[in-house]
Amino acid sequence: MLTPKRVKWRKVQRGRMTGRALRGSTLTFGEFGLQALEPCWMTNRQIEAARIAMTRHIKRGGKVWIKVFPDKPVTKKPAEVRMGAGKGNPEFWVAVVRPGRVLFELAGVEASVAKEALRLAAAKLPIGTKIVSREEASA
Amino acid sequence: MSSKNLTLPIERRETTGTTGAQALRREGKVPGVLYGHGTEPLHLAFELRAFDDVMHHGGRSNVITLMMNGKKADTALIREITRNPVSRQIQHVDLQRVSEHEAVHAKIRLVTTGVARGVKEFGGVMDVLVHEIDVEGPVDELPDHVEIDVTELGIHQHCSASDVKLPKGFKLLTAPDTIVVSVEASKTAQHLEEAASGAGAEQTAPEVIGAKPEA
Repeated sequence: MLTPKRVKWRKVQRGRMTGRALRGSTLTFGEFGLQALEPCWMTNRQIEAARIAMTRHIKRGGKVWIKVFPDKPVTKKPAEVRMGAGKGNPEFWVAVVRPGRVLFELAGVEASVAKEALRLAAAKLPIGTKIVSREEASA
Repeated sequence: MSSKNLTLPIERRETTGTTGAQALRREGKVPGVLYGHGTEPLHLAFELRAFDDVMHHGGRSNVITLMMNGKKADTALIREITRNPVSRQIQHVDLQRVSEHEAVHAKIRLVTTGVARGVKEFGGVMDVLVHEIDVEGPVDELPDHVEIDVTELGIHQHCSASDVKLPKGFKLLTAPDTIVVSVEASKTAQHLEEAASGAGAEQTAPEVIGAKPEA
């Protein structure tokens, strides 16, 4: 699963998810991509599940790019613990996704296979997404 | 090739900034700017439907005649189209003033033709690394795209920017040794999963930069 190797701080503040993606909203490598339509904290488990769904479907050939990285630690307090006494322990990692962000890209497979792979990947994600292609982007 | 006679009726735009641009978009218009030839930039607006029509007829790589109040105002080339990343609606258009046979720098779409030998016979993966190349040439001859034949590419072989055949009168600006298309051996899903599970099976806490080692 994707996790950072080195971090500057163990715990970070939550921040906001307002607005839309200012960068990473276009296809850069592949022919097809999956674009986020809603904001969310996407966990590394969700990203991994989507990646596995995609690579299993395309079987052989093709290339997959993951364009989000979970670099934000999320902390949680243990169960049945009273409030206060400091921030909880880091539990998992998330990527902050804003609408418009291209999450995954695919190349080297037929259009029908790519679209089905991305559809399967989208089912593993907590937000609404749409499939984008280079063809329609350049039109 | 550029031979179409495309016209776009424009009007001068007095308001600039977000509020003015949003008001225009609500009226079904698109804000834009016309610049080039060392003159002051002109803020303009045009009907979205008229612009869509121009785009549909190859406006991306053709010289467009701009009409103001029914008279020819200028000739221009579309330089950039800003779209909403989610809805894909056009938000703003940059137009560059060009004269009829002027040489301009442009980005041209690269289209691969044929199926690479490495893909067909050995099950490799073709990777298009560069989707647009920079060229310089006469504005009235600007092609919509350039093609590159990849049928002879085997596994671990590639095409460089210098292999792209440009139309007569065009000069390549992209570095000639830039790899544009390559064919690599395919990794099966099983390989990828093994590699991924091996790399991240044990989820350890990351190293904290500058943290003092525990005594």
